[in-house]
Amino acid sequence: MRKILIVGSGQSGLQLALSLQEHGYDVTVMSARTPDEIRAGWVTSTQCMFADALAIERKHGLNLWDDVAPRVAGQGFSMAGPDGQRALNWIASWDGGPAQSIDQRVKMAAWLELFEERGGNVVIHGVTTADLNGLARLYELVIVAAGKGELVQLFDRDPSRSPYTKPQRRLSVSYVHGQESRPERPGTTDVWMNIIPGVGELINIPGYTLSGPCDIFYVSGIPGGPFDAFADRPPAEEQLRRHLELFRQYIPWEYERAKNAELTDGKAVLVGGYPPVVRRPVGELPSGGFVLGMADVVVANDPITGQGANNAAKCAESYLGSILENGDRPFDREWMQGAFDRYWEHAQWVTMFTNAMLQPPPPHVQQILGAAQTNPAVAKRFVNGFNNPTDFQHWLLDPAKTEEYLASV
Amino acid sequence: MSQDTGPDERAVKPRSKRIRPYTLTGGRTRARHQLLVETLISVPQYDPALAEKLMPESRALYERARSQVSIAELSSLLTIPLGVVRVLVSDLAAQGAVFIHPTAHAYSHDRNMLERILNGLKQLPV
Repeated sequence: MRKILIVGSGQSGLQLALSLQEHGYDVTVMSARTPDEIRAGWVTSTQCMFADALAIERKHGLNLWDDVAPRVAGQGFSMAGPDGQRALNWIASWDGGPAQSIDQRVKMAAWLELFEERGGNVVIHGVTTADLNGLARLYELVIVAAGKGELVQLFDRDPSRSPYTKPQRRLSVSYVHGQESRPERPGTTDVWMNIIPGVGELINIPGYTLSGPCDIFYVSGIPGGPFDAFADRPPAEEQLRRHLELFRQYIPWEYERAKNAELTDGKAVLVGGYPPVVRRPVGELPSGGFVLGMADVVVANDPITGQGANNAAKCAESYLGSILENGDRPFDREWMQGAFDRYWEHAQWVTMFTNAMLQPPPPHVQQILGAAQTNPAVAKRFVNGFNNPTDFQHWLLDPAKTEEYLASV
Repeated sequence: MSQDTGPDERAVKPRSKRIRPYTLTGGRTRARHQLLVETLISVPQYDPALAEKLMPESRALYERARSQVSIAELSSLLTIPLGVVRVLVSDLAAQGAVFIHPTAHAYSHDRNMLERILNGLKQLPV
């Protein structure tokens, strides 16, 4: 039975641990926090997952919230015009089925307990490089899935794949109860991406948290602009008050349905921002051992396109395949690079699309967003790209292809 | 969408047969070992044959824990990083080779025990 150590207890780390456990591997997970501490902590992300990523969880029996979580049917786009009206407002549903967002406080605590109930080894400890140095030779493979903290520094930034050196957005998140559905879609639960040119975005995501179904305000502000208003890390209630005030001023159609919203709990807010980065996947320890980085340790995109949890699920599944196929052969440096390269085949398109979305939309993208307003086929293809961003290379990331596509619909 | 892999499937999915028996039974308690720096461990019944088979680090821990010792002391006495000590002690505990003494954390729902601990603390000569 091969011994594997996974450092980190998020979407990728726990999903890989649980799926390796299915195949009889001897897996140890090191988590900085206990399940109870995770539940009692602050929200960590917005984690909207689309059909393909959810299908991976279902394949491994990890879909524990399908009966309670809101089924997010569609994804809409609204763009503010100069007069405060909406210049664009359209929505389409995903071909692959609904999306879902489970608060990571709920999911990771439950998965960590499930892993342990099934006989997995859990060690509660925030891991340092010195620890890894000592641990690496006790395991056949060490995977680092802890996207925050000093371990990330084991992996060098890859400048050829990382166009940005500074955060491109300032992020603030509130989880709320009491938001109403959009009047034009009564009773539905949809993701809405509201774009305010030059200011930033509000993405509204129906989710499921400790206290049941909720809505998540994901506010993404261009640095220095009016949405960049949370650097002082205000108390939770004050943060929500500021969110609502910004909606009233810049996104009045969202304010109307959000104005009676209340925080789901005292730790239901988050403030952040980081530069998007791609790192080299193999870290070398002082002892000479090698460790493999996973998910946002090695590919950290801006969350604007909601790909983080989806990437984590797909990375863990890709690594699972590489591990199983390696059989009894050693997990050496070449194997690690190969495992990453296989994941990058997918992740490169997510990175390219996400980095593009951080820029003001070039004319050909504006054309697409505009065409979607009147042509449901265009709207559907754009929305489906969030489930599978590899499709964007064929029609959106290249002006010539966009022209060709628009001529064909 | 994969409708064939609904929530019901996980209930009937058989447990992997390759999981070692001890991981399913005792050794590991339901609540994970809270290996805090101050957590005390000891070896309930020293087994020289087991000691022979252990890796050098684990063996050193096992020998040292023949008399009761804390996680922090083990790390410092044997100059092994704390994280490594925690992993190795978890493994030894899973085999039943070391006993992890319950700390106040283990009694966090037991008011009587917490009061006894509090009384004990108050009586400590400071």
